[in-house]
Amino acid sequence: MLELRSVSYRYAGYATEVLHEVDLRLSDGEIVGLVGPNEAGKSTLCLVASGLAPASIGGSLSGTLTLDGTPAAGLATHQLAERVVVGFQNPNTQRSGIAATVFEEIALGPMNLGLAVEDTVARTREAIARLKLDHLVLRDPTRLSGGQAQLVGIASLLAMRPRHVILDEPTAQLDPAGTRLVGEALRSLAGTGTSLLIAEHKTDLLDGLCTRIVVIDGGRIVLDGPTSEVFDDRRLAGLGIEPPARVRLGRLLGSRGVDPAVMAGALTDSAR
Amino acid sequence: MLIGGYLGPLAIVLLGVVPAAAIAGVAPRLLRISLLLTLPIAISVVLVSVFTRAGSHVLFNIGPFDATAEGVDFAGQTLVRLLAISTSIGLFGLTTEPRSFVLDLERRGLSPRFAFVALATLEAVPAMVERAGVISSAQRARGLDTEGSVRARLRGVLPLVGPVILSSLTEVEERSLALEVRAFGRPGRRHLLWQIPDSGVQLAVRAALLLALLGSIVARITGSFPSLP
Amino acid sequence: MTAPQGSADGDAVLRAEGLVHVYGGETRALDGVDLAIRRGERIAIVGQNGSGKSTLVRHFNGLLRPTEGRVLVEGRDTDGQRVAHLSATVGLAFQDPDRQIFAGKVRREVAFGPQNLGRRGADLQAAIDEALVATGLDMDAQTNPYDLGFSRRKLLALASILAMGTPIVILDEPTTGQDARGVERIHLIVADLSAAGRTVVAVSHDMRFVAEAFARVIVMRDGRIVLDGTPAEVFAESAWPTLASTFLEPPLAARVGARLGLGSTPTDAALEAALAGAG
Repeated sequence: MLELRSVSYRYAGYATEVLHEVDLRLSDGEIVGLVGPNEAGKSTLCLVASGLAPASIGGSLSGTLTLDGTPAAGLATHQLAERVVVGFQNPNTQRSGIAATVFEEIALGPMNLGLAVEDTVARTREAIARLKLDHLVLRDPTRLSGGQAQLVGIASLLAMRPRHVILDEPTAQLDPAGTRLVGEALRSLAGTGTSLLIAEHKTDLLDGLCTRIVVIDGGRIVLDGPTSEVFDDRRLAGLGIEPPARVRLGRLLGSRGVDPAVMAGALTDSAR
Repeated sequence: MLIGGYLGPLAIVLLGVVPAAAIAGVAPRLLRISLLLTLPIAISVVLVSVFTRAGSHVLFNIGPFDATAEGVDFAGQTLVRLLAISTSIGLFGLTTEPRSFVLDLERRGLSPRFAFVALATLEAVPAMVERAGVISSAQRARGLDTEGSVRARLRGVLPLVGPVILSSLTEVEERSLALEVRAFGRPGRRHLLWQIPDSGVQLAVRAALLLALLGSIVARITGSFPSLP
Repeated sequence: MTAPQGSADGDAVLRAEGLVHVYGGETRALDGVDLAIRRGERIAIVGQNGSGKSTLVRHFNGLLRPTEGRVLVEGRDTDGQRVAHLSATVGLAFQDPDRQIFAGKVRREVAFGPQNLGRRGADLQAAIDEALVATGLDMDAQTNPYDLGFSRRKLLALASILAMGTPIVILDEPTTGQDARGVERIHLIVADLSAAGRTVVAVSHDMRFVAEAFARVIVMRDGRIVLDGTPAEVFAESAWPTLASTFLEPPLAARVGARLGLGSTPTDAALEAALAGAG
């Protein structure tokens, strides 16, 4: 379990707090969606939940981050890396710059952990299979499209078999098929007991994927609950968050007295 | 003129480097690169030594400068030594894949962090070139004329160079965070995926070269080797 | 030069004829594209990554040149016209703002494009002001672009193109990374451009944005156009198999409308109207 308790955070050199009294808990196997308008603190929360803020970038943190019972405060960044990984949306920065092939790129994480060669290869193959990247294994990582690079970036993180995965807009560069692929990969990953926190604008994606939704605004958690509950909340629009199509159209159909089974049917059509 | 002074270096080049280059298939490139590298030094060495070396056998003179036979001898011996050095280094550069070299060093104990820096440096320029290409497209699409007058092109320097530097700098923090996430900062050795092939022959050759090196140092110290006149 | 085809295509500001683009000597990114875009149209191009949509639009400002076939901008072949020259007619807003920002202040950044096109003085300032207001950056005119978040920098890149006042505007993935308010703003920008008679072409993955903001949708697959019509036509049930072949999905509103037998309802509004009509 990953737990943030009463966490407030200020970047180094800045006077204002970006996160205020944040409580967040991620249990094993949970997929939690993080939504909020831009500049509400989503990316900062991702950095703090991974321990990199303040361990790597400094700044001042009050409150606690606990990873599977161990306080993160005393951990070095490579010790954090063994437990939790965080991915950012810019595929250029996720690339190591030293791998000759996609396979090597994905293998770098497990290799850095000091694993034996067989383990490294096994984890790399697993990550490649999960994200269906077999056709890209021998390609030069610098010659990939933005979408391919983003998928390789996610695979590189998953290859480390972390207990907690935090992703900041992992589908930003992806086309609809790529988005679906990532959704399926993350769903199967959660099935192995990994906990996931995904910051996203695509509420439709989160609707089908997450068990819980957390809404952040102005650095504070304003909503935290089961997906259907949070996405049905009428306050979302005022917070600058577009609820998923299911909710919008559900309200429309409901007001016209249309049988909810129609919506359910249409949703299964698209979930195919 | 001491034949011996020429024999050693020429033997290295003709009996060692050139056959090795021929086997590796890099002989023409090697000769080209070595000549290019040694030519500037060679010219200055020749000029300086031929005319300023103290000696008694004057061959000809240009103004106040006497060209001596001793000077020519000295220049000659220096040149063959330069040739031996440049061709050897050139052969190394042309036959060694930089990545394999760095990774093998890591296998033999080089810290993974140094290995990373070395490899990243090798990639830095191609990555920048690629970035510069995208930036150039974006700025040309905003009307930047890259083919106009000199003044126009000078005005284009900042919009072309600026984003390269700015985006590289702003990405540094996120880039290093991403590296830390993948445990690049972890102390201790790694088990590398790569196998750098080695063979009995290569081992034997390396051993022989090492012995030759030690032997020549000893010979130089005990005076059995001819030194420069 | 052949006479223009029928009156419908006579006013084509952008035209591709038998366009083929091969890069790296073997990858056929465009496999024979014929397309005519009329003045003032609002058109979205959709398709998987690798379908050729970004490759196609980069021919319209000369960044890419045809391997075979030709591309005409306002009736003239792009062959022989420099990118900088075409930029006065076609403004292309790139996806990654960090590959073009170089100025220390937002205002200075936005000024670059129009300045290159020769605008000066009050005219230039007016163009910049308008672009900043449209993208919501008017209060940040003196801010350093890198003090803005990524999504606002994207809006800055868009403002830089809007200020150029080009008759044709091409947007490459304008809504990625934007929150709901940002997407609304993009909607408004597209509507305003269209109202001003400017031609808008957008490349996008966002099917909802495409269905709601554009009058014509082009679907690409493997370097060819496979569907071309209004959102209602392209997302109609009859087109679903073709969409499926490109791994694209119609918006949920279209699926619901089809289930209810209401015809093609690609947007929330269309579904609502159809329900009201049927009720």
